[in-house]
Amino acid sequence: MDQTSRLKPYLYVAPLVALLLFVFGYPLVQIFEYSFKQIRGIDGPWIGFRNYELIFGQDLFWEAVRHNLMLLIAIPIMIAWSLLVAILLYDRLKGWKVYRIVIFVPYILAVPIIAAIMKKMFQFNGPVNEALRWLGADFLALDWIGSSDYALWTVMLLIIWREAALGIVLFLARLLNLDESLTEAAKLDGANWWQRVWYVILPQMRVVIEFYAVISVITMLSSVFAYVYIMGGGRGGPGTSTMVVELYIFGAIVRQSLPGIASAVSVLLFLVSLLLIVPLFAMRRRANEEETA
Amino acid sequence: MTKTTDLSRRRLMQASAALGAGALAGSAFPAWRARAAEEMTMWWWGEQELPGLQGYVDEVVKKYGAATVKPMLQDTAVVISQFQTAAAAGNAPDIQFLWNGIYHMESVWLGYVQALDGLVKDDVLKASQPTLLSNYDGHTYRMGWYPLPMIWIYNKDMFEKAGLDPEKAPETWDAFLAACEKLKSAGMSPVGGGIQDGYWGEWFFGHGLAQCVDSPGQAVELFTGERSFEDPAYHAPWVKLEELKKAGFLNPEMSSTELYPGIDLIVAGKVAMGESIGSRMPADSKKTNGKIGAMVMPVFGKSKLAGKPIFDTQGIGISKDAKDPKAAAAFLEFLQAPEQLKLLHEKTGWLPSNNTFDTSVIQDAAVVSMWKRWGQGENIPYVANVVPGQWYEQALLPAGQQVVAGKITGAEAGALAAKVAKEWRDFNPDMVDHYKKWAKDLG
Repeated sequence: MDQTSRLKPYLYVAPLVALLLFVFGYPLVQIFEYSFKQIRGIDGPWIGFRNYELIFGQDLFWEAVRHNLMLLIAIPIMIAWSLLVAILLYDRLKGWKVYRIVIFVPYILAVPIIAAIMKKMFQFNGPVNEALRWLGADFLALDWIGSSDYALWTVMLLIIWREAALGIVLFLARLLNLDESLTEAAKLDGANWWQRVWYVILPQMRVVIEFYAVISVITMLSSVFAYVYIMGGGRGGPGTSTMVVELYIFGAIVRQSLPGIASAVSVLLFLVSLLLIVPLFAMRRRANEEETA
Repeated sequence: MTKTTDLSRRRLMQASAALGAGALAGSAFPAWRARAAEEMTMWWWGEQELPGLQGYVDEVVKKYGAATVKPMLQDTAVVISQFQTAAAAGNAPDIQFLWNGIYHMESVWLGYVQALDGLVKDDVLKASQPTLLSNYDGHTYRMGWYPLPMIWIYNKDMFEKAGLDPEKAPETWDAFLAACEKLKSAGMSPVGGGIQDGYWGEWFFGHGLAQCVDSPGQAVELFTGERSFEDPAYHAPWVKLEELKKAGFLNPEMSSTELYPGIDLIVAGKVAMGESIGSRMPADSKKTNGKIGAMVMPVFGKSKLAGKPIFDTQGIGISKDAKDPKAAAAFLEFLQAPEQLKLLHEKTGWLPSNNTFDTSVIQDAAVVSMWKRWGQGENIPYVANVVPGQWYEQALLPAGQQVVAGKITGAEAGALAAKVAKEWRDFNPDMVDHYKKWAKDLG
């Protein structure tokens, strides 16, 4: 193979690589640059780490981070719920194909739509509280979205309901690919349902569970904007009880004319997400290896 | 077979290369295109709060013969950022919608907006009621477009049922508390609305702070550090709100209800009093057969602005990038001509911002009465329009919500406000001097 032939493939892909670098690389570099500047409009003076200093010294930023971390509580619940439902469906519960579709519906609906509906349902005089009052459970008729004590938990409930749908589908897909002879053998050996799940099924699902856990962590840290935007009245309310990092960035750039601050927080969020993506790729590689084996 | 696969792959790669090169070439050139000198762009906002404005804009640009005006309706979330980004890139529209006060003043300080005095005829500019908050350093930067009287409303039917005079809204804070007590005793929600999205708290503060300052300039000084929200004189609005909360006068669903559905509760006879906006008055009055009355926030303060009707306007201005500022000014003057003012009223059912507009077209007595007091009488600007965006987001809206929810006191709201005002100065050192100068202008 001569020199030209070796270079040919690279030349073919070079324009697309250049385009990708322009579309994704350039904004990324720009964000890093902005994070060290006091931007007004589209540029401003270099101020070193001042934006980072200001962010780290602000209670609201740490509150937003704390809320993102609190949302991580949802992940074990999502995993447990998704596993339970997936295994029940795998056990060929009567009408399981219909249930599978019904359960996945929340995931294909746009977040703003389901969040807006959920917001109506959880109003103080909304259908949820009306039903609770009708059942005589007045003590449970809380101000779900109007009180800073409950608002984040209500958002978390919505996130669990929607995001668990993805878990169920992922887990069910894996379950349908399991070697049924192992489960059958366990059954013949006298293992009960719980023992079959714990000792036979779950070990085979370890990789997909890890994968789902990692993407859920990334979701909780950097993809909950639509949920909190709608449920928190567009501002992370009541008070600042549903403020999260993404909303903080949005507020800084769109409502406070502080692109430098927004860029600095974006850089931090990017670096944290990057740290999480590394194990995600490792897991995918391991999953591929297992499948090949 | 192998040959076919190789060929396909090669073709695919060639096609990818061509696609990539094409896209790269396309994006490498600026999306500049020649525009005729007589063509103007106008970025506007308002259909979102005043349905029918789109029809009005479409018709006036069609009617205007001196130039082709290309309007573009902006999304609420990006009105300011889209304009500022375009202006920073030297590509702002000729004519731009501008909210009042700080919502356009930052663009003025950045040099993105042109002064209108000298471009638009003085009498036309003055008649459009741009309000004091459009002024900086002796110049006016906005022309009024349509007015927003900031009002409180009350339901006359509920007043009657509670044994109150439906034609006499309470004017002092004590009279207001007494009316609330009567309404509560009659089993009704005396005051409130919805604060889930936060805006109710902004309005309450805007009405309340006007009673605590002698001029809008004093309100600006709360951000420059010359005055502080920790001073009880300036966090009084939140203390009054706390008083209403503690007395049980606020409607119980307030924290989970948004602003406009909250105003609907007053119109529907579920809450007796609350805040509203003048542009809603024609529809609300019609819906209740004139049973909605307008009132000024009951007076608790002793400042020079206390008890006066608050009058705000939405406006438009000319950007620094206008190709022909005189042509843009001529279009603004065209919008203030009697035929166009009449057209705005016909299309929206609301009034244009012009004190020479013939108000005899208004049929509803309640609307006429409101307009005489807010639009034509002595009025004051809306002081909440001077608050910086960061403070608005991180102090003003959260404080109102938390006081209404009973989570913090009025004094704690003041402490939060003072802390965030200090943070704003740290985050925006380049804006503080502008604010100081603006405070003097508005003083």
